[in-house]
Order: sequence, then C-alpha cells, then structure tokens
Amino acid sequence: MALTKHLIEVRDLCFTYPDAPGPALDGVSLTVEAGERVALLGPSGSGKSTLLRALAGLVPHFHGGRFEGSVTVDGLDTRRSRPADLAGTVATLFQESEEQVVFSDVEREVAFGLENVGTPPDAILPRARAALASAGVARLGGRRVGEVSGGELQRVCLASVLALEPRLLLLDEPTSQLDAELGDVVSLAGEGAAVIVAEQRPERVLPAVDRVIFVEEGRVLLDAPREEALRWLGRERPAYLPRRPAPVPPRGCPAGGLVCRLERVTFAYREDLPILEDLALELRRGEIVALEGPNGSGKTTLARLVTGLLEPDAGAILRTGRASYLTQEPGRHLICERVRDEVALGVGGDRARALSALAEVGLAGAAERHPRDLSSGERERVALACVLATKPDLLVLDEPTRGLDPERKHDLVRLLRAGAAGRATVVVTHDPVFAAAVADRTVSLARPGREVLAPRPATFTGSWPAITRRHASSSVAPVPEGTRAPCVLAWLGARDPEARQRHWTRH
Amino acid sequence: MRPAAAAGLLAALAVTALLAGRTESVAAIAAGLLVACLLAPRRWRSVYLLGALVPAAGVLVITPFVETIGSHPLWNGPVVPVLGHLDVTTEELADGLFQALRLAAVTLAFAAYALLLDHDDLLASARLARRSALTVALATRLLPTLERDAAGLVLALRGRGVEVTGVRGRARLLSPLLATSLERGLNVAEAMEARGFGRPGSTRVPPPAWRVRDRLALIAAPLAIGAGALWL
Repeated sequence: MALTKHLIEVRDLCFTYPDAPGPALDGVSLTVEAGERVALLGPSGSGKSTLLRALAGLVPHFHGGRFEGSVTVDGLDTRRSRPADLAGTVATLFQESEEQVVFSDVEREVAFGLENVGTPPDAILPRARAALASAGVARLGGRRVGEVSGGELQRVCLASVLALEPRLLLLDEPTSQLDAELGDVVSLAGEGAAVIVAEQRPERVLPAVDRVIFVEEGRVLLDAPREEALRWLGRERPAYLPRRPAPVPPRGCPAGGLVCRLERVTFAYREDLPILEDLALELRRGEIVALEGPNGSGKTTLARLVTGLLEPDAGAILRTGRASYLTQEPGRHLICERVRDEVALGVGGDRARALSALAEVGLAGAAERHPRDLSSGERERVALACVLATKPDLLVLDEPTRGLDPERKHDLVRLLRAGAAGRATVVVTHDPVFAAAVADRTVSLARPGREVLAPRPATFTGSWPAITRRHASSSVAPVPEGTRAPCVLAWLGARDPEARQRHWTRH
Repeated sequence: MRPAAAAGLLAALAVTALLAGRTESVAAIAAGLLVACLLAPRRWRSVYLLGALVPAAGVLVITPFVETIGSHPLWNGPVVPVLGHLDVTTEELADGLFQALRLAAVTLAFAAYALLLDHDDLLASARLARRSALTVALATRLLPTLERDAAGLVLALRGRGVEVTGVRGRARLLSPLLATSLERGLNVAEAMEARGFGRPGSTRVPPPAWRVRDRLALIAAPLAIGAGALWL
C-alpha cells in the first residue's frame, strides 16, 4: 500500500475511453484532504463525470480505455484496487437515478451497499432508515421503487450512498431532480468526510463548499478556494456564478386566448393515494408558466394531464389546438435511424419543418446523423426540436434543464422566450433561477397531505384570474393581478440559509 | 406470507397439477391460481393472464384434431394430408380440456409468482449462491423493465403527436428498446460494482421471522404434491 498524506492524490491523469477520438481527461493533477468540500464545475462533456469515475476506480477498471498517471484514494492505488475494494471508503451517486437501482424495494435498495461492505446484520436496517431520513424520504421506507417520483428516487439513491458513511463522497449532479426542500446536499455527508460534487446549478452547492475545481475539455482550468474561485468565475465564466433569480422585466406580451383550462381536476394512480385533488388552472397563449413543487407533488402528472396523455379521474380539462409534451430524459426516447426522420415523425414526415426545427435548436448540421451517435446534450436538443416542429398551441417541457450547463440553460431561455407568443408554455422545473429567467408566473404544487408552502406571486404583469388554490394536496397559489415576481431564491431563503432551514423545520 | 413460502406453495401446486389425473382436480387448482392472479393490480395482470390463458385455449382447440382416441365421434371431417382423418370425439374433447387446464394451472402458477411475489424478498431468502440469485432476480425484472421502457417510449411519441399503433408501429420500438436495455444493464453493473458487489465478507439483512402461515404453506406444499400423485 502506498503511503500518502492526502485522502486523494491524482497525478498527471490522462484517460481516453475506448474508441474515443480524444482524451476525456488530460493531465489532471489534484489533491483533496479529508473533510474538504469541493465543487466540480464545467460544461457538459468536460470530463467531470469521468474524473469522479476515476476517483471511484471505475475508470479504468469498468470502462477500459487508455489510462496514464495515477490516482490514489485513502492510500489505495486505483490501478491495483478494484472499485468494489474502494466501496465503503468511497461512495458514488451517479447522474441517472433509474440506472443505479438494483432492488425494487426502497429499504432493501439502501441496504444493498451496506450488505456488500460487511456491515453487521443488525445494524443494516437502522442505518438504511437513518439515511433515508437524512435524505428526507423516511416516508418511502416501505414503498416500491417503481412507485416513487424521479426526484424521490434521486433521494433514495442519495440515501444509499449516505448510508455507507464513506470517507469520500462523490456526487454527480445530485440536485438535478431535487427540490429545494432538501437544502444543502453537501452538508449531509458525515463529519470528516470529503465531498466532491459535480453540479450544473452552482447556486445549490457553492455556498457549502471550501473549494472549486473548474474543468473544461478534460483539463483543470481552475483549482482554488471558493472566494478566489468566485472572482475567477466572475471574470472568466460568468454564467457559472451563483445567481439569484432577479425579477424579470415586464414581457410586454398581454395574455392571449385561453389554450387550456382545468376544472376541479382530481387524479390518483392508486385509489388510496390521490396525487391531485380538485385542481383548477388556466393556461393562455403567450405566457410561460413554471410548474414547481417538492418531489412527489404531482408536477409530471399535471403536465401529462394538461397535454392529454392522462385522463383525470374527476373534473374536466378543456383544451384548444395541439398540445406537445417533452418527457424527462427525452434523449432516451428517440427511435429513428436519422435525426431528420426523428424530428419529421411528429409532423407527418415534413422534412422542411424538421430541418427548420433542427436549425432552431442549433443542430442543422446533425440532420443526417444517427441520434445515438450524438452526445446526451445533443440528443436532448433533438428531442426538443421534435416537439418544437409540431408548432403546438400548448408546449409542456418536463425538467428541461436537467443536466444542462448554465450556458445551455441560457440558450434554452432565449429559445423558449422567442417562440412564447404563439403558444402557451409550461415548464416543470426545480430550478428557481431558470424559472425566474424564463417564466411569466409560477404555479406551486404541494405534496399530498401537506399544505402549500407559501403563496407564489406571478412574475407576469398581465391579468391571470383563474389560478386559485383549491386543495391542500395540490394547491396552486393565487396570482394577484398586475404583480411582479419577488426574488425566488429570497423566498427560498438563499439570502439567509438559516432562515430557510427554520422555515423548513417549521413546516 | 413470506415470498419463499409462497413460491414453494406455487411450485407445489404446479407440480400437483402435472401429477393429478382428474380433470376436476386440475380445474380446481387452475381456478384457485386464477383467483390469486386476479388479486394483482389490473394494469399488470392482463399481460400475464393473456400469456397463461391463450396457450391453454390453443391446446383446447387443437388437441381434438390431432389426437385419435375415443369411440364416441361428435364430428367426422375430411382426410387431410399429414394429419390424416380429422374427427372430434367426446374423449378427445375431454382430454383437450384436461391438458388445457393442466397447462393453464402451470402457467398461472408462474403468473402468480411474477405478479404477487416480492422478488427482492425471494432473493434475500436465498442464503447461498447470492450472485446467481441476484442474476435471476434482475433477469426476472427484465420484462417489467422493458414494459416500462416501452411505455415511456410510447408516451414520448404521443407527446409529439405520434400514435404507436399496429404491429409495424410497435416493431419500430424494438431497436431503441434493445439499445436502452443494454445501456441500462451496463449502468446498473457499474453502480453495483461501485457499491461493493462481489466483495468478500458481505453480510445480509436479518430475514424476518417465519410466521404460522409461512410454516403452514411449507407443510402444505409436499402434502399437495403427495395428494396429486396419489389421489387427485
């Protein structure tokens, strides 16, 4: 065993995936001490996930490829120690929650890692339950994995790694589907544990870290304490500075005609567990509505109801014109051999419209390529082009910023705002910065059985008379006429994290 | 009931149906298993029930035409090359019904296993050969996972205004489903390795205590097989 004083020591690491044209990591050197909290920032595809995999030993053991340099974690050289040997010392939360789940029972899923690392049998379930409580999902203990929402599943996966009480916690975009209720993810790690968190929402992690590493094209451009890093980001990569969602200026587009109206809508997947009850909502042409709420509050269900993909158990949904819906992880839902054909599928094979939509999302040059040859970000833009090509009267996007870096989010805001006048747009999101940048008003849902957390005034200056709170389990906030948005993060307590914590504790 | 005990009982009922010689005994077993399957949520059970009952119906229809037993003809048909003289007798119908019920009972036992039992608990019950048991559990979940992926694809396409209809429409989903399934398999394997799977010295969650009905199920299983072999 090599002796080293650092918890992590990476020396001149270069790594190239098999058959890749260039290196994913190029000359990376860094050290991390026990107890350090590090934010790993950088654009999509810059090598953040690969670096985390190298620290977990998965690169090169699981992925193969060309590996040069060395990575030492807690004295173990990852070239000689397999990932399973590092488990327990290192715990990794991957980006895709659904693809790291082994069991179909929540509690057993959390217990799986504890069993593997040899935890005494009597301690396994208590530690699993404590971890679920830390991740804010103690209530899911007896549930099936298939029954929980995407955000809840991400919390279950977070609990799975927290349960191991590792010395090094690697988090790959842990907040992509998480509501703000969980608060500071980084501080959930145990005392003395080092945390490295790759994140595309800097405002969620920067307040909690000591240090920032910025990676681009496989190289470390910045490795500095937080304050110094903030100055560097301000100069070199301002899009990555944590932002508070400033009130948006009046859009200047008055409310158009009614596109969709929900009247006393109730929906339940299980009779004993209603998701939405007695809900009322109106959507008008020209507006963009951000649909927010904690994990499991029924946002995706509502999105599917308004687009007609689900039918309500009670109540009525009146809709005019065409509705299109972009799913979560849309890049996984492409079926054609060519990008152009994929986009043309929803418009009766009209290739001119398909090419126009591809140009709109900046992928005109990819029209003849196979969708699965594109990067994940490009695939998601293809999926966006698929729904934009249909020129819908009602466009619903479910978590469209998941995995997007700040610059791409900015592009998405511009794209949605540019086409907003011709349709009603609903954006399901956990990202308050994105919501404030793109939306005219916000609709908040509460988890069934809980009260709505606070009224959320609209950011739109027009008249929105029909958004009214109907029921505690699926409330939408009243929208005062002619009001402007307050700072959303201020409401969340970002200016005063302790106040936020008190707020959540109280509720 | 603990899944291991329930699985043992279901397996015993399937064996009993194979051993029993009376149509009414096999019919009773198949009916009991059908009722058990109907306890599963409606959205899941239809596929499994179709998979169990359609082949049984096929056996019921085909058997009288391919068997040549009995002396009480109900219908005399033509002579068909290869198959010979087509006819239907009372005995052939009875035997077709018996074989169909037997097949239905066995497939319904598997359907009940897939629909009602917690495969995770079954895995936990396997104290030995954990790797193999986990492989079996993950393989068992392949069909529901593919079903969920297919539903996701159909939903995404409907969201763009594309309805998936007919055999050709569904066939287009096969290639992306296969690709998605392979990607998921790799990702799950990576996550399992990162979580220490395969490391020596692993431990297990203590199993829940056996209850009276679990013991009764285990006692009933060999008794059912014995009864099937001797009396039913």
